Formats: sequence, C-alpha cells, structure tokens
Amino acid sequence: MEVNNSFDPIDIAISGLRAQGRQMEVISSNVANARTSDAGKGEPYRRLEATFKSDGDLGGVKLDKIVTDMSDFLEVLDPGNPLADEEGYVAMPNVSLPIEMMNLNIATRMYQANIAVLKRYQQILETTLELLR
Amino acid sequence: MININANMTGPLQSIQPGARTDSPGMPKVGSSDGKKADFAGTIKAAGNYISRVADDQQSSDMSIKDLLSGKNEDITSVVSAVAKADMSFKLLVGVRNKLIEAYKQTMNMPL
Repeated sequence: MEVNNSFDPIDIAISGLRAQGRQMEVISSNVANARTSDAGKGEPYRRLEATFKSDGDLGGVKLDKIVTDMSDFLEVLDPGNPLADEEGYVAMPNVSLPIEMMNLNIATRMYQANIAVLKRYQQILETTLELLR
Repeated sequence: MININANMTGPLQSIQPGARTDSPGMPKVGSSDGKKADFAGTIKAAGNYISRVADDQQSSDMSIKDLLSGKNEDITSVVSAVAKADMSFKLLVGVRNKLIEAYKQTMNMPL
C-alpha cells in the first residue's frame, strides 16, 4: 500500500478523536439524566447510545446515529412523588451508572489511543525529515 | 548578479538509470518530455511549496483565532490544522537547508 498523502493518518486520527468526543457527549447526557423522571414526552429519560461507522474504505470513523435504548424503565417505590402511580411506584430512566462508567472508561482509552497514534505519526515524520539534514 | 543556471543533471545524463530507480513513487530521470530538472527549477518548485505552507499556516492561525473568539469550539480541528502546518513547515525548512547547502558547496568549488 502506497501512502499518497502524508496528512491522511493525521486526518484519520483526528476523526477518531471527534468520534470519541461525541461518544463522551452521549455518556455525559446519560449520566446527567440518570434520575430525570420527566423528559418532556410524558415518560422518563431514555438512555442514548452512539453508533459509529467507518468513513470510506481507508478513512476515518464517523458517528452513524444516536439511538435510544428501548429497554424497560426502572420502577422505584416513592409514594410521596407527585409522578407516582396508585401503588406508589415512579418510573425512572433506564440508565445504569456502572455501565455508563464502563463506557466512559472505554471512550477515554480510545481517545488516548488515537492521541498516541497522532503523536507517534508526528514523531516518525520528524525522524524522516531528519534524513534531510 | 550572477545568473545561476547550474545544470545539475546535465553531466549525469549519460549514466543510464538502473532498474532500481523505477520503483513506484520515484520520479524518472531523463523523462520522455525531455525536460531536465535544474537548480533554478528546484528553487521555483520550493517557492510554490512556500505558498502552500503559507496557506497551511494561515488556516491554522485562523482556526486558533476562531477558537479564541468563540466562533468555533472544536479543539480537534485546531489540533489537526496546527499539526499539518507544523509538518509542512518542517519539510520546507529541511528542503531549504539542503538547497542552500548545495548552492554553497557549488559556489565554493575551486575552479
């Protein structure tokens, strides 16, 4: 495989950074709304999840879409809550904080991995340019 | 002003390029259009490259300004523009040093 453009690896690494940044946005929305019992549509907040797809054959990654998690809501017994039903249960978002923390860790490591690729590529370019000296 | 037109490839023209120089990505020596690469041509090409490097620098400057003024809040695009500008500038400096070295060596040649 011949490298045609020496900027390509930079662009690809940057696209990874962007994608992981978006992933963190989704995770922070989930964590912030972990106890939002009214998301404005008459039901609690639904957990969001970002999906990625590759951009072309030898390109970067990009955000495909943000899908909603349709799993069941958590039922919490809280009779004093104005949103509680006859039996005293309140529907809470289907966000599980341990899962979000795990996803956050994965996103962080992925971000760091992309930075490492970018740094290493800049380093080897500098080493190559040293041949001109 | 001395007219610099040191023809670098002229005397070497008789040396036939071996099969090894036909590797992909290598410019062919003594190409079919008969154009020879000379020192002035190389300087001109470097001049063209300078304007491209200037474009890269300008776009990286603009993205930093946009970030600081709040017009753009994407840090990654700034990082990408700066990395590209830095890389092309380093290449330009390397080529320039090499060209000046070649010129000096040619000029100091005892005749």
